Amino acid sequence: MIKKMYSLFAVMLVIAVILSACGTPATPETVIQTVEVEVPVEVTAAPEQPQAQDGKELIVWWSHWANEPAKKAMVEKVVADYEAEHPNVDIVLTWWDKNPLKDAIRSTMTAGGEGAPDLVYFENEVEWVEAGWMVDLADALPWENFDPMAKLDGTYPDQGFPGNYKFNISKVTNMLFYNKDIFAELGIEVPANDQFTQSEFLDVVQTCSDAGYAGVADAIGNRPYPGVWPVQYALFSLVGPQEFNLFNSGKKAWDTPEAKAALEYSVSLRDAGLWPASFSTMTIDEFHVYFHTQRKACMFYIPTWYTGRGFKAEKDGGQDPNWQFGMLRYPAMDNGVANNMLWAGTESGFGILSTSKHVETSQDILAYLAQPKYGALWTAVTNSPSMIKYDASKDWPDNDTLTALNITPGQWDWYWNEYDRVYGGMELGIAPTARCGDFDAAVVSALNEGLPQGLVTVDEAVAMLDAALCK
Amino acid sequence: MNRKVSRNQFKTRWLPILLFVGPVMLYYIGFMIYPFLATFYYSFNTIAPIKGELTVTFVGLKNYIDLLGDPIFIQSVKNTLIWSIVGPVMEILTALTLAFLIYFKVPLHRFYRTAWFTPLLVSGVIVGLVFRWIFNYEWGLLNVSLRAVGLDDWALNWLGRRDTPLMVVIFVHYWATFGYSMVLLLAGLSAVPEELLDAARVDGANRFQVILKIMIPILWPTMITVLVLSFIGKMRAFHIVWALTGGGPLHFTETVATYVQKRAFGWNTLDLGYPSAMSVLWFGVVMIGVGLINRWLKRQVEY
Repeated sequence: MIKKMYSLFAVMLVIAVILSACGTPATPETVIQTVEVEVPVEVTAAPEQPQAQDGKELIVWWSHWANEPAKKAMVEKVVADYEAEHPNVDIVLTWWDKNPLKDAIRSTMTAGGEGAPDLVYFENEVEWVEAGWMVDLADALPWENFDPMAKLDGTYPDQGFPGNYKFNISKVTNMLFYNKDIFAELGIEVPANDQFTQSEFLDVVQTCSDAGYAGVADAIGNRPYPGVWPVQYALFSLVGPQEFNLFNSGKKAWDTPEAKAALEYSVSLRDAGLWPASFSTMTIDEFHVYFHTQRKACMFYIPTWYTGRGFKAEKDGGQDPNWQFGMLRYPAMDNGVANNMLWAGTESGFGILSTSKHVETSQDILAYLAQPKYGALWTAVTNSPSMIKYDASKDWPDNDTLTALNITPGQWDWYWNEYDRVYGGMELGIAPTARCGDFDAAVVSALNEGLPQGLVTVDEAVAMLDAALCK
Repeated sequence: MNRKVSRNQFKTRWLPILLFVGPVMLYYIGFMIYPFLATFYYSFNTIAPIKGELTVTFVGLKNYIDLLGDPIFIQSVKNTLIWSIVGPVMEILTALTLAFLIYFKVPLHRFYRTAWFTPLLVSGVIVGLVFRWIFNYEWGLLNVSLRAVGLDDWALNWLGRRDTPLMVVIFVHYWATFGYSMVLLLAGLSAVPEELLDAARVDGANRFQVILKIMIPILWPTMITVLVLSFIGKMRAFHIVWALTGGGPLHFTETVATYVQKRAFGWNTLDLGYPSAMSVLWFGVVMIGVGLINRWLKRQVEY
């Protein structure tokens, strides 16, 4: 009996060895991806860690913008340039959508950082800095190359972290688009200064809604912030950027007349038909299409990163390049102190994880990216303002470079002309978006989901926000 | 046949026993026992990265006490319990009915068996996404159909209200999983001795009497298993909720499992102790629930 059992075990062992030998080797020996490893959107598992080869230094870089080809093209161009000038360095870029990327970073870093990248997308998570995950870039970057706004974001002096942890490549201003065709159809006339009053704007929304159009195209299917915009735009105009920053970052209680006025105005807009019927389920890609292709909304609250999705090829979900929408200033709030200001900030940027074994090279890559020519390239390719200063006459990329990156020079000039016409002379009010985790969750619940869908009252929203203020 | 293994026999066989059982035991200890014990230990600590170091700080029962005052946790418990009561009942009633239909070979029964089992083969994430489209207010199949037959008032914003999202999630999960219960019950029905049924018929029992008096009592142990499995499935439901609503709006579809994920990895709270306490507490609740179901239903089986 015993003999039989040993024999059986031996046979099983042999089978196991044979099967193992037939399998794929755990670590490929030859394949090294130097530029692009595309991860499908909404995949949360961390990709297999690439291996260094030929004695080269391997830098792993995880970035948001999987769905934004222009931004990908621009960053890949920088990577290719850097690798050409530094043949001893291989950079492996992995493209993600934002939510799974953040989940993956949190998972790998809370587990000790095994498999974490060197360079990483960084939005403004102060907890990541508190956790010691982010490397201070204060002495690593040529800050004189940046717009001064860049240093105001990604720094947390109130929490005891006065360093600079974020490389901001993009300068964002928050805009308000309108569909010229629908406005004409409904007889809505835009004021000469491109700014409705608070009550006029409410009437516009009501008129649109009565005609079967949504007031704006925004929705919250996979983003925690579009539902907050009406409140933020109104509050910014009411109290100005400094006060707004305090409210917005959870440092000031919302139980104030100003904050309540903004919240109540957003409720009146909601009741007039501001949101699309599919507000709760439409994703960020879908609501862009809802505005520019389906054209079911009169207006669109959107920051300058609209171009990342809107200016893609039409077959990929972008807009018709010949369809020109208009831009509006924010509604002028009654007694608003900043009705002539434009709310500006930043978007996703980059940082270096403290678990990186290649901090110096990673810093060098970011410093390389901070050159004026790449600021110009960012703007030219992504049609989004750059945080890196440049001299257009000297740094703007030539047409061959743009064409090689699938960009048609001059295609979007109408957009920039409209932007300059409407927002060009406005003063920027800078508002970084750093929030503590509890307050951020309260904003999502109360202002992104609750208030826009009528699930909470203004008083309940205020109570939720004030219960979660950052300490 | 009930042969006892003597001490000597065991001694001579310990090596092969170890060889066969050892790897499985190692796997079980490494991937089941250790994580459970670690989670239990973590639940009494704060485990957060501070200045680059994963720092473990003993906090005693604080995490458990905090849980009792956490409105989102309470909401998620409420949702999960509603689901765990409603879901298994819906599932077993449907599965039982359908299993009988197939057992009695209604016309097209082979097709039905495949059709009803098929949803189980689809990934929960895909199911969630598809139903998200189906329940879309504007162009979802459900509302389009309702409007097409003139029931415009019934076309609701199913996933964006206070009252309907949880019902939608329960329904979608039910749709995706009842096939499994049906197959288990069908297997149980197939095991009912044919002689017993013949004898009942000879004694003058009609089909309903055969079902109620013979088949269901024999099927009872299988039904208990199905009910327990369904209950456990609902108590730890995650993927369909995640894909369909993400726990929203305003946590109206939050389950304990989705909240644990959010607190552990989704939010920037970065403390693994608190979600560990949630997991341990919920593990206890599930064990008690399973125990109660077993105890209550096994009493009914003593026929």
